[in-house]
Amino acid sequence: MQYIKPGITFGIIGGFLTFLFGGWSVAVLGSFMGLSLGLSLAGRFERKDPLKIALAVLPSAVVSAIILLIFSLIQNTVIVEALGKRPAPASVATNANVLAFIGVVLLTTLVASLRGLPEKQERNAKLILLALLIIAFPFVDKATELRWTAQIIFALIFVILGLGLNIVVGYAGLLDLGYAAFFAIGAYTTGILSSPVHGIEMNFWLVIWIAAGMAAVWGLLLGAPTLPLRGDYLAIVTLGFGEIVPVLFRNLIDVTIKEPFTCWILPLFRIQTACITLVEHEDLTFGEKGISPIGRPSLPFIGEFESSNPITWYFLIIGIILLSIFLINRMRESRLGRAWMAIREDELAASQMGIDPVRTKLLAFAMGATFSGFAGAFYAAYIRGIFPSVFEFSTSIIILSCVILGGLGNINGVIVGGLALMTADRLFLPALKDFLAALLNNTVLPSISDPVMQLAVKDNSNPILYRFLLFGLTLVIMMAVRPEGLIPNEQRRMELHAEEEVPLEELEIAQPKSSGTKK
Amino acid sequence: MELTKPKKRFDLKRTGVIALVIYIVFLIGPIAGLDFPAIYTAIKANPLQLVQFLIIGISNGAIVAIIALGYTMVYGIIELINFAHGDVYMIGVFTSLTVLSLTGTLESKNPGTIVLGLILALVIAIVVCAVLNATIERLAYRRLRNAPRLAPLISAIGMSFIIENIGLMWAAQAWLVPSFGTTGGASQKSFPDMLGVLFTSLGWNVNLLASSGIALRLTIKDVLVIVLASVLMIGLRLFVQRTQLGKAMRATAQNRDAAKMLGIDIDWVITATFLIGGGLAGAAGLMAGLYNNTAWWFMGFRAGLQAFTAAVLGGIGNIAGAMLGGFLIGLLASFSDGYLNARWTNAWVFATLVLILLFRPTGLLGEQTGQKA
Repeated sequence: MQYIKPGITFGIIGGFLTFLFGGWSVAVLGSFMGLSLGLSLAGRFERKDPLKIALAVLPSAVVSAIILLIFSLIQNTVIVEALGKRPAPASVATNANVLAFIGVVLLTTLVASLRGLPEKQERNAKLILLALLIIAFPFVDKATELRWTAQIIFALIFVILGLGLNIVVGYAGLLDLGYAAFFAIGAYTTGILSSPVHGIEMNFWLVIWIAAGMAAVWGLLLGAPTLPLRGDYLAIVTLGFGEIVPVLFRNLIDVTIKEPFTCWILPLFRIQTACITLVEHEDLTFGEKGISPIGRPSLPFIGEFESSNPITWYFLIIGIILLSIFLINRMRESRLGRAWMAIREDELAASQMGIDPVRTKLLAFAMGATFSGFAGAFYAAYIRGIFPSVFEFSTSIIILSCVILGGLGNINGVIVGGLALMTADRLFLPALKDFLAALLNNTVLPSISDPVMQLAVKDNSNPILYRFLLFGLTLVIMMAVRPEGLIPNEQRRMELHAEEEVPLEELEIAQPKSSGTKK
Repeated sequence: MELTKPKKRFDLKRTGVIALVIYIVFLIGPIAGLDFPAIYTAIKANPLQLVQFLIIGISNGAIVAIIALGYTMVYGIIELINFAHGDVYMIGVFTSLTVLSLTGTLESKNPGTIVLGLILALVIAIVVCAVLNATIERLAYRRLRNAPRLAPLISAIGMSFIIENIGLMWAAQAWLVPSFGTTGGASQKSFPDMLGVLFTSLGWNVNLLASSGIALRLTIKDVLVIVLASVLMIGLRLFVQRTQLGKAMRATAQNRDAAKMLGIDIDWVITATFLIGGGLAGAAGLMAGLYNNTAWWFMGFRAGLQAFTAAVLGGIGNIAGAMLGGFLIGLLASFSDGYLNARWTNAWVFATLVLILLFRPTGLLGEQTGQKA
């Protein structure tokens, strides 16, 4: 019976989401819900017979499935009417609900019962299940016409960025507030090298490596001056760089470079020479208009990637993420990765043990920037155009929020954090906006007589405008409640909670009571 | 025995590096507006313009200096970059605009009403911002006081985002302030030129130099901003130097634990610091609104970074330094707008920030160790 409570919680969360999305979403959401419910329940069991675990979680799964179905039915009748939409056809609704029920019950029990297997088999089984889910998702999405894949791709771009930032902030402990600068450098490298507007149309598969290399070089160049700094001064200098880079890309629209000797210095001494002009009136970045179009990747058999078909892009970015995870895992286990963590814990002690702090920190900046180069190249090709406003300070903070939400220094945490925050931003908020707009237009607004009030309510009901609240609240709440993140790195967690282990008596001595001294 | 090597008269490597840097600055500087021949020509053509930019720079610098005081006081006491401070200033602009609108001062032509409305707006802006700043400290920073250094900074950035969003929502409330219009919260709003209206209704010429025949504009607004800023700074300086609370603040800044042992209520001292800093930001908000005539939800971010640069330039933790830094940054921004290229001004300000932190982290007047990890 103690497993019922999480079942109810998950059921209600999933139910509210079906309110927003409607249609087939209940089946897809139900599967995700079952998966996460199963995972969260599995941790509570000892390793024993899989069948027993399955039976133990079955009531919880059924309860959450029923809650989901109740929400779905309400959605299909009351909510749809309030929104003024046509209800889904009866066949679709029935099929979706049946699939949702089966999905929740089956996946919950299946995932939870994997816990009963030996450790290695459990791990393999989970990986296979995850791989199936990742592969099936875009096709299911296409079949059910939810159109989530295009938005999930954005979330995955931020997952790569989060993975890169995690190297700098999570492993090496250097707070970088200007990480979007490297994203911009990767994207603009791709833009300049593969756009017909500059006449250089290089192949995407080559450009993505050049972009990553370029970002790494700039990581070294911008990282080098910050080496003597620590803590918040380092953070502010990286913020400064992060602000300068978009200004640069915004303003490199009329570049003229004249050789100073021949143009100014010699004429000062009345020596007449021809002025050597290296570059004249070159428009590199096209300012606010941005660079567009940008070349796209193509593959044999598949052909050029089209924006109408997000599935190819989806698998491309999944590939990049897998490559990134592999590289980062290898790096973390290597001598370099351990050096990063040593530097993070205590720079002085680490350098006494023979770690070169300069080289280690520089490599952290360079490696972190590399992955944002990948993300930038993908982004530029996917959007097919780049604009300087995308790479502002707020983007750096969005990436930081993803890393902090998931858990600094933990790859799984960063992936979960990035996916959670960015799907909330890209999927949940737009759906909420449509939901609120339809609700207001059909039921709420006609009942308000005062036109001023009516306008005020209408103006204030667009949640997308306030999306940064999401990231701001994430940072503040996480820092206050759980600074180690949702899925913490064990070492980091202990560090952050070190003070709580001090015995209470010692604290009492350290803090004399002010009321006592006054008397 | 002479152990030290004789100092080289001429260090080839060093000179070479310096020459190379100068060459590169000459080579690519013009891209960002740093074109010395062009600047020379511009100054030669109209030298009076230089004085004009000086006036604008000092007036804007006075506002930057007041915001910088908030950064420097907080950093001096708890060694935290209060990232949300610039946004508190933005709330000050919106508060004063709302008060002016609600009291009907915006439509008024009567000098008495305008003066009363402005004083009321100043008082309310100061109170609102002071309370807001102290609330931020209570909610976001207090429990992180003993956490690793970066935790409160991250919390501060989050707080800054939240307050920017409050500004964004505020700017969409046309029922509250009709002049916001229906363009939504994201666009820049105009802050009516109440001082101009006031002086015209009194029959004064806004430009003090109009009768002298010099082709310069030194307005009453410039003088007012500079005077008000100076009064606030001197008042703050006296407060910190002379009063008991000021002494407690300095003690807390020097050594928090020792101050606690001597019976100083640390929490109250920190709250008071945030109250004063917020109040200054509120005053700066009204002044900036009246002087620059815009209100925008994002104005706090840029102003905050400029002010932070000013605080670092003067030596963070140092009140006189913040004032000096504020004026210098105001001048830098005004000269960059005038002679370099207005579109690159932000880049120049940030470049200054980076260069100071790299080469002189203690700032111009900072005597403490500037770099505390």
